[in-house]
Order: sequence, then structure tokens, then C-alpha cells
Amino acid sequence: MTLNNVIEKPDLSIGFISLTDCAPLVIAKEMGFFKKWGLSVDLHKQNSWSTLRDKVHSGLLDAAQMLSPMPIASSYGLDCLKTKVVAPLVLSRNGNAITLSAALYETIKKQHIHQPYHSDIPLSSAYLKEEVATRKMLGNKIKLGAVFSYSCHYYQLVSWLQAGGINLQDVDIVIIPPADMVTALAAGEIDGFCVGGPWNTQAVRTQIGFTGVTSLDIWPGTPEKVLGLLQTFQENNPHTIQALIMALQEACEWLEIIANRFEAARLLTDSHYLDMPLDNIAPSLLGSCLTFHDESPRSVPSYNQFSLFNDRVGNCPDTIDGEMLVKHMKQQGHIKDGAEGALSVQDIFCSDIYHQTLALFSSKITPLNPLGSVLSSQELKIS
Amino acid sequence: MKSSNTLSLSDNKVKVLLVENNKRKANEFMNALDRSNYHIVHVSNTGVSLLKEVDMFLPDIIIIDIESPDRDMLDSLNKISSTAPKPIVMFAEQEDTQLIDILVKSGVTAYVVGGVNLNRVKSILDTAIARFTQYQGLKDELETTKQKLTNQRVVEQAKLWLIQTKKLSEKDAYHSMRKMAMDNGQKIEDVAKNILALASL
Repeated sequence: MTLNNVIEKPDLSIGFISLTDCAPLVIAKEMGFFKKWGLSVDLHKQNSWSTLRDKVHSGLLDAAQMLSPMPIASSYGLDCLKTKVVAPLVLSRNGNAITLSAALYETIKKQHIHQPYHSDIPLSSAYLKEEVATRKMLGNKIKLGAVFSYSCHYYQLVSWLQAGGINLQDVDIVIIPPADMVTALAAGEIDGFCVGGPWNTQAVRTQIGFTGVTSLDIWPGTPEKVLGLLQTFQENNPHTIQALIMALQEACEWLEIIANRFEAARLLTDSHYLDMPLDNIAPSLLGSCLTFHDESPRSVPSYNQFSLFNDRVGNCPDTIDGEMLVKHMKQQGHIKDGAEGALSVQDIFCSDIYHQTLALFSSKITPLNPLGSVLSSQELKIS
Repeated sequence: MKSSNTLSLSDNKVKVLLVENNKRKANEFMNALDRSNYHIVHVSNTGVSLLKEVDMFLPDIIIIDIESPDRDMLDSLNKISSTAPKPIVMFAEQEDTQLIDILVKSGVTAYVVGGVNLNRVKSILDTAIARFTQYQGLKDELETTKQKLTNQRVVEQAKLWLIQTKKLSEKDAYHSMRKMAMDNGQKIEDVAKNILALASL
């Protein structure tokens, strides 16, 4: 028996947001991994995280690339009805960064002229203290953008501010969609943001921003994007989910080969995906974090990590990560005391489905060599 | 700022803010609502300027295209201010999942401010669903028509190839394609695509 013959729903609609870390979905489609595992997938670009969530909840999308706190938010019914969404696979880590406006950066530099701030990347939020105090006297606040309330970006921004001793009352965090972030920074509507690629790179390229911190400096190795889908969909289509996990696992592993990263960047430039020049997409996929237009890029080898080479634990959802996210959501008052979720953290980050699937099929993953991969055309068999 | 004019009848009207970039779609929706009951403002602003609009107009309900990138911003409003609009789902009961699904599928969603009477909101939602569904229908229809045209073109091309290279009559070319389709349980467009793929080798 082949897996292809038992797939309940081979035609899938999957939602994504046009960000650099949607790469696993794009690669699975463009490099034929979905096809290899018997799936025919249509990728649907979404304009907002709330709409992506609502479409998964109502079944318009079968699955989606989700922010890792999103399935938890669905479980607690935050801005939506309580809904059981599970995350059987981690898609990416370490893809976010904090960018400050060029004006704010210049101000900080002047304020710390006698200190060696240049060697101080990753930048501590302590450097903002003076500006925060000045603005307080003037009756306003530093305004920072995050992409969604229940996102790693939001909680990472909070962690970064707190680590440098900034009082959260003294700054405003506003929600702005990723694609509008650079425009808002250029217009002076915000003083900085925490967002994923390609937007940090674009802000530096257009000389309006300074990227001083990546999420690797704040929450190293935390899952930022996961595959999310309704628990009922998983229960009704177990083989489909297995095929989906395997196709995306292969795509994530393919992306760990550095020789493949540039090709991934090229594919992402397409108008169906990021619709953005290669200049803005390639650096963060090649371990380069642009800092400022007239300063050298910073080497961040694990920038945008999709898998761990030779160790599949990198894509396995983990209850510990889920509990850590719940803790931050509670600290920010997003999850109220005594509130109960529709699903437990163990059920959301369902590592058992991942382990069962990999145990059955990991031998069918085409081995990769650093010179590039060749797709196997052999039929898939359930061992 | 809230109007202090208590004599004005408009104070009893439900204030509707419509966020929609497509002007025709916006007009159709606005014309369908009875203006004696509603005070409607249409905006196509995005980003921070949309938030200013919300602050100035203080709507009872915001109707927004589900494909608008500004949804995340509106979603976050209920956490910033207690009078700010909350997603419609936060007013719906669990059994109203259907209403939410219908809204999503018709391509629209809403944000409601606490004090407004839910029954009055329901009729606005009904109108929105009706108008937006109609639009969604037109969009799908256009998509189908485009697809049909493409399929026809592919079939024509494959037929032409058979006529030219296999020296078949037009009728025979079509018949042989139809037979292949029936034998293989395929659509004739797919057979045509296969033929053209072979032809390009």
C-alpha cells in the first residue's frame, strides 16, 4: 500500500503571509515535495493574520503557516471563538529582528558618544532610557510596532524592553501589518518595530532603519512559525496530515543546505510570494543581518532556521515551548487568570503525531548532500 | 470627539464605518442601508490614519473587507481602549459559529462597540453578507469564465496541432481527443494539455 492511495484529501488550500519564513511552504510547492508525497497544494497569500486565522477556523483554508502563539490564542478564544487548532510541525525559528528608525538611532549615537556603542550589537534597550525620559517630559512616548497581538514579535519586543530596564508603561506598542511597517517607520508614525524578513532588510536598504537585535539575541531557538490546522481536520484526515508533515519536513531540511538558500531567495521574489527584490530577501536567508546603510552587516549564522541538520528534533513541536508562550501571554494580560483553553498545551503542540509520522516515513526522505539534492521518483510505501 | 448636540436626530442613528477600497462595492452596500436609520461613513484609508478615523467618528460598528491588511490593527484595538471596537465574534454566542462562518465566506467582517443594540447590528450584518456575497459570486464567476476561456484555447491549440501534424480533419482531431479523454477518465482540457506538452518536446 502506498501513502498516496490513502490520502483522504489530496487537494489542499494552505494560507501563508508573504514573509521570508514562508519559505518551507514555497519550497515544498516549487521543488515538488508536496507532489512527491501525493498532495496537490494551492498556496493562498493572506493580507492579515486575523483573516488567516478566521479562514482556518471556518474551513476556507485547510491549514496555514501560523504564528506560534496563534493556536494557543484560538484555544482561549482571544478575539475569536474558542477553537481547537493544533500545530503538528514547527516551520521556523530565529527570523525576527528589531529595527529602530534612523532618526532614533542617530539620537542614541549622540547621547552615547563617549561609549563604544558600535561593539554593542546586539543593542540593549537600555540605550533608549534617555530618549524615553526626554519624551516623558514632553508628554509623549516611543512608539514601537509589532505585527499581531499574539505573536512572538510582540512578546520578544516586551522581553527586550524589560531586559534593558525600560518600563512598559513608558512606551506604546501598536499593531501594524508587516507590509505597512516600513511605510509607517518612514512616515515617522512609529520609532521602531519587531518584524520578520524581508522588512528589516528593506528598512536598512532604504536607509530609514537600523537593525540592532535579532530574535536570536532575545529568545534563541524559539519556534516562531508553525503549521496550524483544525483538530477536527487532523482527526478526519490523518494520512493527509502525515503527507503534509513529511512534505514540509523535507522542505525544511532542503532549506538547511546553504547552497539551496539562494535558490529559495530567488523563488520567494515571485509576485505570488513576496513580490520583492532579491536584494531584500537574500541576506537574512544567508546568515547576514544588515544593520545600517553605512555600517557592515552582522553575521548571524542561524538567522531564519528551518530545521536542524541531521537532527529532526528541530521540527518537532514541544510542550515546553508552548508553556513558555502561555506564560508570556498571561504576563501581558492576554490570557486572563482562571481562563481555560479548549485544548491543553500538550494537545496543541502535538509531538506524538509528529513522532508517529516520522517513525513511519522518515526513511523515505531523500538524503541530502551539500552539493544539492536530487528528488527521488520512487513510490512511497508504508513500512 | 463625540458630538454634544443632543437635539440632533442623528444621535439615534447607528454609526457605521465602512472600510473598503473598492468604491463600487462600498456604494452598493451603502445604498442598501436605510439612511434614516444609519449614519454611514466610508473610508479607504489604511494604517495609522484609519485609527485616527475611528477615533474621530467613534462608530458603533465597523464593517471591513476581510482581505484588508488593516484587520490585525482593528483586532488589537479592544486591548488598547475599553470603548474601542471589539471583533464581532466577541459578541456572538458559541452557537453563532455559523454567522461568523457566513461572514468570513462572504468576504466581510465586523467590529462592534460595546453599547450598541445587537439586533440593530444584525440587520447591518445581513445587508453586508448579502451585498458582499453577491460580489464574491461575481468574482468567482469571472474566475470560472477566465478558466473556461483558457481551457477552450488549450483545446483549440491541441486540435490544431493534431490537424497539422497528424493530417486529421478538424472533426477527427476533436473526436480522437474526446476518445482519449473518455478512455483515460480525464477532462478534454487535460488531454489537450498533455498533447501540447508532448508537442513541445
